[in-house]
Amino acid sequence: MKKLFINLERCFGCKRCELACIIEHSEEKNYAYYLLNQKEPKTRIFVENYLNRPIPLVCHHCKDALCISACISGCMQKDEKTDIVRNDNSEQKCVGCWMCILNCPFNVIDREMKNDELQAIKCDFCANREIPACVEACPNEVISVIDINE
Amino acid sequence: MEIKKIKNRPYDDITDYMYNVSRKDGMETIYERFLQQQPQCAFGALGICCTLCTDGPCQITRKAKRGVCGATADLIVSRNLLQKCVQGTVANVYHARNVAKTLLATGEGKSDYEIKEPEKLKSIAEKFGINPNKPIKEIAREFGKFFISQINSNDYEELELVKKLAPKKRLEVWKKLGIIPGGPNSEAATALSKIMTNVNNDVEDLLLHCLRLGIANEYTGLFGITTMQEILVGTAKPNEGKVNIGILDKDAVNIIMHGHQPLLAIKVLEKAREKKFQEKAKEEGAKNGIKIYGSLCEGQQIFNIASEYKDVFFGQIGNWIQQEFIIATGAVDALVFDYNCVMPTISEQFAPKYHTKLISTDKVIRQAGVERLEFEPDKANEIAEKIIKEAIKAYKNRGEVNIPELKYSAISGFTTESVVNALGGTLKPLIDVIANGNVKGVAAVVGCTTVREFHSGEHITKLTEELIKRNILVIGAGCCSSAMQNVNLMSLDANKKAGKNLASVCKSLSIPPCLSYGSCTDIGKIISTAIAIADTLNVDIPDLPIAASAPEYMEQKAVADAFTAVAFGITLHLSPAPPVLGSQLVTKILTQDVENLTGGKVIVELDPIKSADLIEEQIINKRKKLGLK
Repeated sequence: MKKLFINLERCFGCKRCELACIIEHSEEKNYAYYLLNQKEPKTRIFVENYLNRPIPLVCHHCKDALCISACISGCMQKDEKTDIVRNDNSEQKCVGCWMCILNCPFNVIDREMKNDELQAIKCDFCANREIPACVEACPNEVISVIDINE
Repeated sequence: MEIKKIKNRPYDDITDYMYNVSRKDGMETIYERFLQQQPQCAFGALGICCTLCTDGPCQITRKAKRGVCGATADLIVSRNLLQKCVQGTVANVYHARNVAKTLLATGEGKSDYEIKEPEKLKSIAEKFGINPNKPIKEIAREFGKFFISQINSNDYEELELVKKLAPKKRLEVWKKLGIIPGGPNSEAATALSKIMTNVNNDVEDLLLHCLRLGIANEYTGLFGITTMQEILVGTAKPNEGKVNIGILDKDAVNIIMHGHQPLLAIKVLEKAREKKFQEKAKEEGAKNGIKIYGSLCEGQQIFNIASEYKDVFFGQIGNWIQQEFIIATGAVDALVFDYNCVMPTISEQFAPKYHTKLISTDKVIRQAGVERLEFEPDKANEIAEKIIKEAIKAYKNRGEVNIPELKYSAISGFTTESVVNALGGTLKPLIDVIANGNVKGVAAVVGCTTVREFHSGEHITKLTEELIKRNILVIGAGCCSSAMQNVNLMSLDANKKAGKNLASVCKSLSIPPCLSYGSCTDIGKIISTAIAIADTLNVDIPDLPIAASAPEYMEQKAVADAFTAVAFGITLHLSPAPPVLGSQLVTKILTQDVENLTGGKVIVELDPIKSADLIEEQIINKRKKLGLK
């Protein structure tokens, strides 16, 4: 089971991870074009300020995820093989009730306009990549992927 | 995402009161904007982010020890630092040039000003070969022209101003290092060429260039500003006045002169005396007529010479961080500003909300949608008249008024001459009290205020209180003076907070333990006092038991001033940490190695009490070397 591991002391707060996340989940795959299309940047990893230190907040893909039990449409599901929690990979569709946002203890679910409908968005562990974009982008090796089964 | 610990609030009660008023009115202030910017990127804060070319931006990281071009952390840090130093220097020189232009125009009879200090002009002009027996206007014309030609001279011609005015011992040091500067604008242009992509990678050369600019900053900037302004509007004299936001009068048309260049303000003060304007203001319902106030450094400079204008000048309002809160009183009818330190939110958010009429008076500070009455030496009276008329018009648009009740007094107007006068014509009494240890030493606490490490003003206040408690005389300048005035440290009352020995010295001279030298551009006057003491004792500046501190430094002029201090051999404490810590080499040079070259160095400490420890230690070491106990 893969998780994102954060080495807090090393974080400089540069937000390159946020940028990489935005680009990875955009159609344009390029920040300049993305902004030129006048889209609001939406990240799924959040570098926040806590006790005057930068702290990257990431989805923990929890074992008994509260976002899954709270989801009223049933779109939020845990992949049996990878243990990744996603809401965009099932037959059900997000209806925008925001119960997942309310219940997430880490505050890492946001909303985004998709096909004229507001939907919840969250970390999908970069489904199309081997290594998540944020991990690759981090200049100080703050974020890494670890396999907690090992 | 709101995981934020509220840390930053104004430190003093008056600003905090106005902060609450602004928040209640739904205004977003500098404190909210600071929080929204958190966390800020540490690559920038450490100085190891380079945005010069399109192969970048590059940062020096765990993975990357060089930028794409090959620049190391040391090079990126020193390039960035030199860039800031250039900006600070040219800004001070720009101000000096405006004053020189006015002096020249006055000499040519094309200005609304007279020569107020002819003797001062004669004595300085004589040093540069201008015959002091010529008519005074002719001297003004020649000196003004000479000064402008110095600003515009090339970097390969050593500045006459430096060669003639600098203390001999300093000149030797600078000559040895090869840092006697030429014309500042040319020096700046050369510096900017050096820091282009793929040009210079000699860190020492780049830092020495910072010192060159520091020296140019003093003589073609700070010194020129103070001297020529005094020639045109009079020399600072100690006088008592009221300070802080609480002095605004709800029953008067309030005009605030905000910025750094006091020449126009003097004309506004003179115009405000005219009966027709005072009557007109009263007709409009302002029963106390028109009142003029100063804010920022401009206010400090008016305050310095305010003994002549007590009937129309009603005091110094505050420092740069307070500007939004000043407007939020709703009692400011006109805010007239020249260059430097005007937040964009003043014209975009605060002035429209609180009815204030904005007028900009310098071409560099144009703001969209704000009326421009740009200063020309021969239009000062005309502009001053318009300003007053506009303020009276704006008075009618007032809404709710909220003025804090607290107000303090302060004494300002200290300068080398006035300190000498207060001491009975010689510096000897000051030297005696320093020698016998009643006054351990002198610390200049100068520069901006910031919201970074603490509430704005907190570091300044705590450090200053600690220094005077330890019998160290404090000289304030710039927004630091305002921060001290806001907590009543520049009045005679403050002697209660001073150590026993310092307090008794100050009481016997009827001066506060914190002397305001005026604006941030008056830092030149502090250096001239240090030179005068060193000359009297026949020692060099690094030998004196003095230190300087910029405990809440913020912008680029402070960087240039910092290098001025280091070039003059003064130990300078800085907080917040300057963006150099990403390079061990540059940090070591600035905090250690440079002391062997100029006698000055930088110390960085973010805690006010520990800062006081370091400054005291510095002063005690210097005392020991002089053979004082």
